[in-house]
Amino acid sequence: MPRLLASALSLRRDPRLMKLPPYLSLLCIVVGVVWLFLLPLDDYSRRTYISENALLPGQVHTYFGGSDQNVFRAYKHETDELAGKGNIEVNDKLESIAKGLGLKVGRQNFTYSSAGNTHSGQNIYAILQAPRGDATEAIVLVAAWKNVKGELNRSGVPLVLTLARYFKRWSLWSKDIIFLFTPDSIAGPQAWVDAYHDAHDSSRVASLPLKSGALQGAIALDYTRETRFQSVHIVYDGVNGQLPNLDLINSVNHVAGGQMGMGVAIQEMWKHSNSYHDRLQTMLRGMLKQGLGLASGPHSSFIPYHVDAVTLQPFGDGWQDEMAIGRVIEGTFRSLNNLLEHLHQSFFFYLLMQKERFVSIGTYLPSAMLVAANFTIMAIALWVKSGQPDVQEVITEKTKTAEEAEKIALPNPHVAVERDLFLPLVLVAVCQFLGVVPLYLFNHLSESALIPAFVLFTVLSAILPFLLSNLLHTSTTSTTTQQYHLIRSFSLLLLGMFLSSLATLNFSLAFLVGVFSTPLTFVRPCPNSPILKWLSLVVLYVLSPTTVVFVASVLPGLDEKVGYGLGEVLRQAAFAWDVTGTYTPVVVWCVWWPAWIVGVVSVLGRPGGGDKKMKKA
Amino acid sequence: MRRFFPSFLLSLLSLLCFSPYAAIANASADSISDSRSDYHEQLILRPLPLSALLASFNFRSNTSLSAFEAHNFRFFPRSLGQILEHAGTRELHLRFSLGRWDAESWGARPWNGAREGGTGVEMWAWLEADTDEEADHKWLTLTNALSGLFCASLNFIDSTRTTRPVMSFQPEGNHIDANATNMHLLYGVLPHEVVCTENLTPFLKLLPCKGKAGIASLLDGHKLFDSSWQTMAIDIRPVCPEDGECVLQIEQSIDMVLDIDRSKRPRDNPIPRPPPAHDIKCNTSKPYHAHDTCFPTDSAANQDWSLSHIFGRPIKGTCPLTDPTVSPVCIQVPDSRIVFASEGAIEKKNPDQASRCFEFPAENDFDMFLPAPETQDGSVVVEHLVKPETPLLYAERSFTGHGQERGGVQTILRNPSPDQEVEFIYMESLPWFMRIYLHTISARVDGQPGKADSLIQEVYYRPAVDRARGTQLEVRMTVPPASTVFLTYDFEKSILRYTEYPPDANRGFDVAAAVITILNKDKSSGSGSGNSRFAAYNLRTTTLLCNLPTPDFSMPYNVIIFTSTAIALAFGGMFNILVRRFVAANEGPENGLKKGVDKLKAKLAGVLKRKGSAPAVTAEEKKAE
Repeated sequence: MPRLLASALSLRRDPRLMKLPPYLSLLCIVVGVVWLFLLPLDDYSRRTYISENALLPGQVHTYFGGSDQNVFRAYKHETDELAGKGNIEVNDKLESIAKGLGLKVGRQNFTYSSAGNTHSGQNIYAILQAPRGDATEAIVLVAAWKNVKGELNRSGVPLVLTLARYFKRWSLWSKDIIFLFTPDSIAGPQAWVDAYHDAHDSSRVASLPLKSGALQGAIALDYTRETRFQSVHIVYDGVNGQLPNLDLINSVNHVAGGQMGMGVAIQEMWKHSNSYHDRLQTMLRGMLKQGLGLASGPHSSFIPYHVDAVTLQPFGDGWQDEMAIGRVIEGTFRSLNNLLEHLHQSFFFYLLMQKERFVSIGTYLPSAMLVAANFTIMAIALWVKSGQPDVQEVITEKTKTAEEAEKIALPNPHVAVERDLFLPLVLVAVCQFLGVVPLYLFNHLSESALIPAFVLFTVLSAILPFLLSNLLHTSTTSTTTQQYHLIRSFSLLLLGMFLSSLATLNFSLAFLVGVFSTPLTFVRPCPNSPILKWLSLVVLYVLSPTTVVFVASVLPGLDEKVGYGLGEVLRQAAFAWDVTGTYTPVVVWCVWWPAWIVGVVSVLGRPGGGDKKMKKA
Repeated sequence: MRRFFPSFLLSLLSLLCFSPYAAIANASADSISDSRSDYHEQLILRPLPLSALLASFNFRSNTSLSAFEAHNFRFFPRSLGQILEHAGTRELHLRFSLGRWDAESWGARPWNGAREGGTGVEMWAWLEADTDEEADHKWLTLTNALSGLFCASLNFIDSTRTTRPVMSFQPEGNHIDANATNMHLLYGVLPHEVVCTENLTPFLKLLPCKGKAGIASLLDGHKLFDSSWQTMAIDIRPVCPEDGECVLQIEQSIDMVLDIDRSKRPRDNPIPRPPPAHDIKCNTSKPYHAHDTCFPTDSAANQDWSLSHIFGRPIKGTCPLTDPTVSPVCIQVPDSRIVFASEGAIEKKNPDQASRCFEFPAENDFDMFLPAPETQDGSVVVEHLVKPETPLLYAERSFTGHGQERGGVQTILRNPSPDQEVEFIYMESLPWFMRIYLHTISARVDGQPGKADSLIQEVYYRPAVDRARGTQLEVRMTVPPASTVFLTYDFEKSILRYTEYPPDANRGFDVAAAVITILNKDKSSGSGSGNSRFAAYNLRTTTLLCNLPTPDFSMPYNVIIFTSTAIALAFGGMFNILVRRFVAANEGPENGLKKGVDKLKAKLAGVLKRKGSAPAVTAEEKKAE
């Protein structure tokens, strides 16, 4: 053991050690990325299972059907008549039906403004009080009048009304059931959930006139089809990549897939062969959605309040009718009704790669952590390097022959030099604070100004590093190599720190940003090699936040033929920021962008001061 | 949780003791019943809107105090009497409740809310004791004894769940020394207690006729606990009439709201399967109406029912011990409606034109049928229900905020009266782990900006002591006419010790209902006499479920594993280093294997030596080196 210590100590002074970190960083990145690609394999992912024994999904007979279908048809006629009418008119009709069923009805007005647009509407909800209950707990059934794509929820709304009538007849409910009808799929549910937890801004969102107990779960129904369907699509992504408890997804899967015999799909993988390729694709789609952190349906707003929720979307042509999806909801509600405790047993952090296969956080987290760690390793290495006299470069670059090298008085490599911290600290801090500018701009401009602002900002952000670089050199004392080391060290340290803590909150976002910023680890000032310098610049500009945002908005989406377009993406981002509180823009503009700016500045750097001093010495 | 065994013993005991008395009482009932009856029972039925039916069972019996003290129990249940005597209880109120009263549709509560409790079990009693400690001790005795008697976890009412209300409760009985210092009021509540059949059985056993005859024969656990709201109450109080001897009165009542639709379902087929299509009443005026499309009309609101339908059996005669002057069954419907009763019953309409009573022979079964009101095109022609009385106050309580660190409570109090101010006492008894911030308590009138703290007139606050005492908060306040007041306060959630969590910690912790006692306008009439009409109306909010920060209970297991591993590794290595003596390799004794090899070598060498000398020399040379 002492020998081991001694050898470690001697290794500390080994100059070869300082050559190691870039390779170590590279290794981290490679292992991190490869790790992710191993996850879909059978050996690394697990089959899903129900943790919470109380759920007992698919264990009950479901009776929804028969004459309820006649009622459904009638409600559907009522809904069809309301198509295209105003929000208030729709709600009047819904209220009259719900009151006829003997439910307590409440309404809530909300107004959000985002990107110069006003999103206002009125939610209506009906509470079915648990027959023997005491308003301590509640479960929610949501039907948005329009789904996220703006299509009318033509069968969903009448089905929820029919279910309300059917549920009223049962006496076994232990929790109140709240039927929520919202005019849209994002703002309406958000306003309602905020107000339910009294976390709303009362100037924009009205308080709820009626309340029930603690929400235990929510199911949203997005059923725009009018023909029979084949399978049901479970949408589970919450705001900011938060996920519902895996038990809820498993229960729905169990009821729909096991009991009702219908197909179940996730992440818009309409066909899934359970091959490696399909699993990987499902997982990557899930990661992309998680990374973006946008609300993906009416259920998304519930998840930040620790209310587990999913949206069900019937799809495909098959022989299942409305009653079948009604029975899926009935079965799921019976399971939720069984819950004695809040869903807590199963996983909250997971990646699904097939409806019945997942990896949990313990297995996938190392991948993002390794990518984040590469920045920290490099930051530490640069810090150590900045404390050592700049010998190596002097020898290798300035002096070609060994004789000349001997002539130069070698300073003791074990003596730390004083670090000049002021300039690096100021530069990194300024870059970090500059990130607030795009964050503010893109979230407060009106919709028409978004694209011009983005173009202007892209140009400015491309020029800014050159300006900063020139500033560093025109000043009286030019920037030394040590200072460049420190600048990079601080920037990478922050990046590594932010990303590793983000990985525990939103794994996918941390991983994506981490992978896009990998070049920042390796770029360095290269005043003597213009090719390398320009190559680095090209790589950096291709992987700059603005370019990535632009390319992502123009590229076709997962299923669409064409991309959303830049304006739509920016508008969506602003809407997500204003309404649902998505923090992805913060990560992009205040974590990634400053690190990128510092990276480009250091590529453009022409460190000279240090060398001059060395020559004099 | 439940103490089945002692309860079984006690009930056995009570059965043994009680039966002879019942027999004697039975035999002598007619001869003794004088002008003031000792026992009477009555069932009042009131159809409510939305196909609900309120059934109020009331059983009352008296025993004179002198007879009670002489242990001469007649109608008074002996099992209970002995407990009361042992615990020095002067007045006792016990409530078992389930569900919630829907004031919006059902109106004012039965008995003005005096015979109900919050969800779970609630009890309060005036005990005779010289000191607080003695009162606590007697309270402990009382709760433990009642716990056995009623099969409820009343023994869990410990000091953390006991409060001593100052303003909210007044004795109902006549106490000679009502304000004396030796009278202690203690109040305890168990919000998480699930009331069920095992509580009904002992309740019925206290009745003179048990559940065998009279209106109590309708009480069946399946129906009672399928009701939308039910409360069982036992009130014991001394009553001193102006003329005559003081009596100890026990009043048992059960109030339940039945959903007629649900109750009419046969017990052997309770699943609400979709009815055949031709059985649903449809709105035929809709243009799309067809054989497969049906917009249902709310036909459930006006249904016919009979007693045997909704309770599953008719009333089995009358209890022979009951006072014959009190009608056993009354129904509150307008006189215009027809009510059919079984043969031999006499219908007596009351002068208020909104209720009628029935009397029937003791030996006959009694059933009653209320046909559905006449309808035309789905709407009722005549007034078919007695309009529910508007309650004095609507109250609704809920949590605000989210997260596991702090929260708030908001109570919405609405005064429906257009011109009358309502003054009331709002009482909360909160568990100790909800630490309230008293400075945040505030009232605000809906629609008016700013606080209206002038509405809060008096606050009595007894702060919690961790693990020893809960918070007690009593607020006397008013609500102006036709307005809504929001009463809010914030609290902080404390972190419990690992062992203090119940097995279902993630469910949350029940917070008992707030008790609202509306004060009588005319204060002068009430305060003087002992039997005061102090409270004009009582109501209770629903219970709440408070989520506390809950640890991952598998964590200690992980920690144990982890630390064990760490200790095993660290300790193993450390111990190895500590006890090992390090010596240079050539200094140490030769180890076993090397010794063996050397021996073998030596033997070999010996063998070779015998064969020839040359190899032996080389071996010797090597050894020398």
